Amino acid sequence: MTTATATKLPPSQHEFAEVIHRLEAGGAMLPDTPENLMQIIGIYKAYAVPMDFYWRDLLYIAERVFLNPLPFFKYFLPKEYLELHNHYAGDDADLRIWQKGEATAHPELLAFMEKGETFKMPKLLHHLWHDRVNMEFAEACMQAMLWHGRDMGWGKFDAYLDTPEYKAAADRAIKAYFKGNPLMLGLYKLFPEMFIEQVRQLSYYSNLGLFWEVMAPVFFEMSDLYDSGGIKSVPDAMNFLVNGIFAVAGRPIYHHVYIGGEMYEIIPKSCGFTWLYEAALPYVEAVFYRTAPFRGTKSYNAQVKQIPDEQKDFHYGILYADVFPVGTAGIPPTLLMQDMLHFLPPYLVDYYRQHCRGEDDALIQLGITFQRSMYCVTSAVIQALRGALLYPLDDPNPKHLQANRDFFEKQIDRFRRPEARLRDIQSQNYR
Amino acid sequence: MADIVDIAVTADNFKTLVAAVQAAGLVDTLKSPGPFTVFAPTDEAFAQLPPGTIHTLLQNIPQLARILTYHVVPGKLMAADIAKLDSLTSVEGSPIRVSTADGFEVKNATVLAPDIEADNGVIHVINRVILMG
Amino acid sequence: MLSTLIWMPMLGALIVGFLPGNLTASRLRFIALAIASLILLITIGLLSQFDLTASGLQFQESLPWIPHLGLNYQLGIDGLSLPLLALSSLLTWIAIYGSHEVERSRIYYALILFVNAAVAGAFVSQNLLLFVIFYELELIPLYLLINIWGGPKRGYAATKFLIYTALSGVLILAAFLGMTWLSNSTSFDYEAIITQGLPLREQLILLTMLLVGFGIKIPLVPLHTWLPDAYTEASPPVAILLGGVLAKLGTYGLIRFGLGLFPETWGIVAPGLAIIGTISVLYGALSAIAQKDIKRMVAYSSIGHMGYILLGGAAANSLSLVGTISQMVAHGLILALLFHLVGVIESKVGTRELDILNGLLNPIRGLPLITSLLILAGMASAGIPGLVGFISEFIVFQGSFPVFPLQTILCVVGTGLTAVYFVILLNRTCFGKLDNYQAYYPKVTSQERLPALVLAAIIFILGVQPNWLVRWSETTSTTLIAAVTINQQVAINPPPSTDN
Repeated sequence: MTTATATKLPPSQHEFAEVIHRLEAGGAMLPDTPENLMQIIGIYKAYAVPMDFYWRDLLYIAERVFLNPLPFFKYFLPKEYLELHNHYAGDDADLRIWQKGEATAHPELLAFMEKGETFKMPKLLHHLWHDRVNMEFAEACMQAMLWHGRDMGWGKFDAYLDTPEYKAAADRAIKAYFKGNPLMLGLYKLFPEMFIEQVRQLSYYSNLGLFWEVMAPVFFEMSDLYDSGGIKSVPDAMNFLVNGIFAVAGRPIYHHVYIGGEMYEIIPKSCGFTWLYEAALPYVEAVFYRTAPFRGTKSYNAQVKQIPDEQKDFHYGILYADVFPVGTAGIPPTLLMQDMLHFLPPYLVDYYRQHCRGEDDALIQLGITFQRSMYCVTSAVIQALRGALLYPLDDPNPKHLQANRDFFEKQIDRFRRPEARLRDIQSQNYR
Repeated sequence: MADIVDIAVTADNFKTLVAAVQAAGLVDTLKSPGPFTVFAPTDEAFAQLPPGTIHTLLQNIPQLARILTYHVVPGKLMAADIAKLDSLTSVEGSPIRVSTADGFEVKNATVLAPDIEADNGVIHVINRVILMG
Repeated sequence: MLSTLIWMPMLGALIVGFLPGNLTASRLRFIALAIASLILLITIGLLSQFDLTASGLQFQESLPWIPHLGLNYQLGIDGLSLPLLALSSLLTWIAIYGSHEVERSRIYYALILFVNAAVAGAFVSQNLLLFVIFYELELIPLYLLINIWGGPKRGYAATKFLIYTALSGVLILAAFLGMTWLSNSTSFDYEAIITQGLPLREQLILLTMLLVGFGIKIPLVPLHTWLPDAYTEASPPVAILLGGVLAKLGTYGLIRFGLGLFPETWGIVAPGLAIIGTISVLYGALSAIAQKDIKRMVAYSSIGHMGYILLGGAAANSLSLVGTISQMVAHGLILALLFHLVGVIESKVGTRELDILNGLLNPIRGLPLITSLLILAGMASAGIPGLVGFISEFIVFQGSFPVFPLQTILCVVGTGLTAVYFVILLNRTCFGKLDNYQAYYPKVTSQERLPALVLAAIIFILGVQPNWLVRWSETTSTTLIAAVTINQQVAINPPPSTDN
């Protein structure tokens, strides 16, 4: 029924014409090979397990830990949150994305939280030895969203954080939280903006937690489908993501805090914030594209403007990252890579053993695989945006097709700079 | 004449739209004097959205209301009026790009039937659900 | 026992060269390594039986050979030659262990063992002509080793090396002949040569010929121009032998035959020698700072560190001579480690350019252990306390400062400059961010790691327990100096003349 759209328009003159044509044919930025597919599905599953921890802990911090001045145990996820039902898995799901899974924490995650990389110890020892899920990565993603919030052009979440309604709601919650604590209340009177800013940060915790609550079952379902043969190609995987994006687009984004048994709505659901506009798109923009400059074994020269003046020109996200572990949170995602290392499916472990330095540098190999997979996710976002805001790929009107192409080209233009890894992922040798 | 809601109800191909409006609690708003210009997606338009989209929206009324109010512009703007403009501001707050150069187009939707007049406004039938951004 | 150290490696060379059968490179390496291990064991035996308190030669052997030529098979060892012999045995073992998958292995290992035999012979000879024979014997094997297994410019480098070193051999032979005939001695035996009676002018001419001859070998600035090419083009094991062992032939000859046989005139040439030493130190360091090739940088560093040896020798007191001998050993160890590590880096990364190398300390895709040891070697070379380089340099400075204060201070500045170029080397090579595009290096094998670890351990242990290095040479240096001081005093305060 659909004719190949590539024949309706003359070939693109863009530097990445091949990628543009692939997108116009319904594909992804990542080439469609079985090796790529195996890599990305495997890494999605390895990503989803720690993500299960991240979203639960993010919500725990946003909702319960709240303004605790000394949150020493904020990474110690209570049973209540481990058993919190994911809204998109299990029998009582709003929309059951992960068909075979449970709504509570993933069993592999629970097994890892018991033993870590070493052996079964009291939780405190695991925490101090840093033999745990690296929650610092999730917090770094949250900070990226907070820091780039206003400038991104997506959604109304960040603007709402400055409104009087938000401040009033935050004020109520702060007073309730510190009831009976004259020291903190006194500090609040002296420095109200400081506390409100902390609450804003906590709202972003909630935002990111609700975002990832959706992504985890999506990735688990993709892994299950791949294992059972339901996903046979990279475009299949991408289309699953596109459908997932639309299906959950309307999910509300809110910030509820539980203080003394009562729920305080800092950002109520009635604000109308959606998962797509207020969580997913800002997240992609902040974490995939922008983030913050690489910290670690590299210094920057301010005089030659090695760091862009405008935040919107930042290009330090996962799509641009040089995936070498440097130990800091944020991008490059060293901490996430270490988390993913614990949950790799066996076929990926074998695959990494056969290349480069085998097990010794599996960390970097899986980091590069992760980069490929995030290009697939970004392709899904681009295709979803095209689907929402532009025309179908098989639209008969050439002006519409040209509009599509212009949109694709503008998106791919962001990957023309030398740091972008779009070029590298076209080859299988980039490991 | 009938108001906007009545026209939608009696017509054949706005079942999804009517259900959504009712679920979102916007019936009274759209029955009020207004006037409003409504870009009404057909049932086929809603069907084009991937499965689950409407399901999730129906579970979350404020979010649904936001999508619906994006299809409404205050004032009664006929096709001729719109032809003079580049962009309209929806009730939701975000802008809607319009063009009449190559057929009557509202964002990425084509108007199938313009200028369906109602008591409290005008309906233009579109073939896609339009979204912000 | 000393003869064994000459004839065993020669026999070993013949075995490796002519053993029948189609032996693989690794098998031949194993055989050569076995022979080298045997040599090392004998050397350790020698060390254990050496009497630390006895001055004079030990383990002497004496056989007349060609008496009417004055050539006798006289061997003996003392605190000057023993540490160098030990160094030679160790570095031969390291060089053989560090060679792997060499083409034409038979001749390669045979040549290395032959060089070891010749060097051992040179160190233990107590007959001047015998010394020259062994000195010349190592020439052709080294030329072949550089020319066959070297880098792209090896032909040029090997030929230059051959010409320079042959010239040095000629000068040394001429000096020896002059010394023997002019002093009317019956043979070339070391003990038989007395130069004190000769007129001052003749002594100076002979000593200068010796200085130039050995100065080419050490090398000293401005006779050094063969070294950067030869060291850089030679393969790492050969470079280890060149810099670690062969260069010490030069300094050994200078002390043994220069200081030892010309006690009267040594004091006259000493200030000039100290200046040349200082120039070598500063020139080597400054040239190293300018280099963009890390192996060439190490080569120039070698020139610089030989300058300290000369400074200590020029000062000619017992402390500075101990420092000189210690610096010979320390320099050999550190240089061997540096060449080995640079060789590993080159073989894994594929380049030696400072502009390209970066970020090798990366634990996952870099060469973390090798670069860590490179940092250690750099520190040792720069004289950081706790490592053997500090010990030897400090003793040299301590001994030389009373005699040549200005030159010593300039040499200390040179030590500081060493830190400069090593920081440049380490900063560019080890630190920084390894780039994804380039970083698909093969893993470092344990065979490549072992020599580096052994050398690093020795450098560290001797740095922390310097007595184990220094005690061999203390008695001998006192003996050597005794002759110089007495004769200097005699020269300065001549006995009252009997004519009146």
